[in-house]
Amino acid sequence: MAEMEVERTIERLFARAPECPDADLFAERVQKRLDRGWAARRVLIGAAGLVGGVIGASQLIMSNLFSRAEAASTESARVLTSGVRQLAPQAEWLLNGPAGIEAIWLVAGLAVVAMGLVLTRIIEEI
Amino acid sequence: MSRAERHRLSSLHDVELASLAASGDRQAFGELVRRHGSAVRALLRRMGMSAAEADDLAQDAFISAFESIAEFRGEGAFGGWVKKIAARACMRRIQKDRQLRARLETADLQETVEPSDPGRRMDLDEALKGLGDAERLCVSLCYGAGLSHAEAAEALNLPLGTVKSHVKRGLDKLKARLAPEGEAMEGRRGNG
Repeated sequence: MAEMEVERTIERLFARAPECPDADLFAERVQKRLDRGWAARRVLIGAAGLVGGVIGASQLIMSNLFSRAEAASTESARVLTSGVRQLAPQAEWLLNGPAGIEAIWLVAGLAVVAMGLVLTRIIEEI
Repeated sequence: MSRAERHRLSSLHDVELASLAASGDRQAFGELVRRHGSAVRALLRRMGMSAAEADDLAQDAFISAFESIAEFRGEGAFGGWVKKIAARACMRRIQKDRQLRARLETADLQETVEPSDPGRRMDLDEALKGLGDAERLCVSLCYGAGLSHAEAAEALNLPLGTVKSHVKRGLDKLKARLAPEGEAMEGRRGNG
């Protein structure tokens, strides 16, 4: 037999592996291990999320964040209103309109959401 | 798993099953294990592992394959991809076995090739038993797992020249032992 022929024959023989009689049992064992690993991973992620949530919530309560956010919100609304009045007196109709300052906040919020979506898309593309 | 679901999975191609497995479908991966488990276990046994060791290693190899299934792009056969994972896992285990490691490095290069009984037709498993550990491993890695000589050298942590020598001597021995089968194959082709 030529060298190449020998190599091809041996490759063929290796590829011709006999089917094990317990092939189904073996597959079940592998699947059980995968299921166990999956369940353990879910428990671990859940536990980590719970611990993180508890720590986060306790930090929020302890730092008195809500009252600070309320104060900051009132202050920023005041600054924004005065800024708009100074920069664009012609936009007076907007502030005095039926929606007023809420409309500006809504537009600003939508702009932030749009920016977030664009940023996510860019990260996905990268 | 219902019979219908199993029937549906069994009709899918390996690449489709791998794609489902990549999205977390463990039953699709189970079908891949069912299809290729025997071949992987046979390869590990041919590499010199006992039946129990081969089964353990094959299980580990399939778990590793599931964890890195996203890396399988369907460019080659799924079976070949898993066999490479299994062969490398086997090599890592062998690296830890100092006695076997020493035999790999000091295999007697002057060992003669015994001619087989020409009247007896041997199968591959029987023929592989006539090879030394190093030869069997190198031949199995290159012709069973589809590794190149360089990849086998890296997996075995041996010089490339040593691996090539083991493969050459292993092939010569197999050629001598499998000659009746080769001739029979040639004869069948000539007659058909």
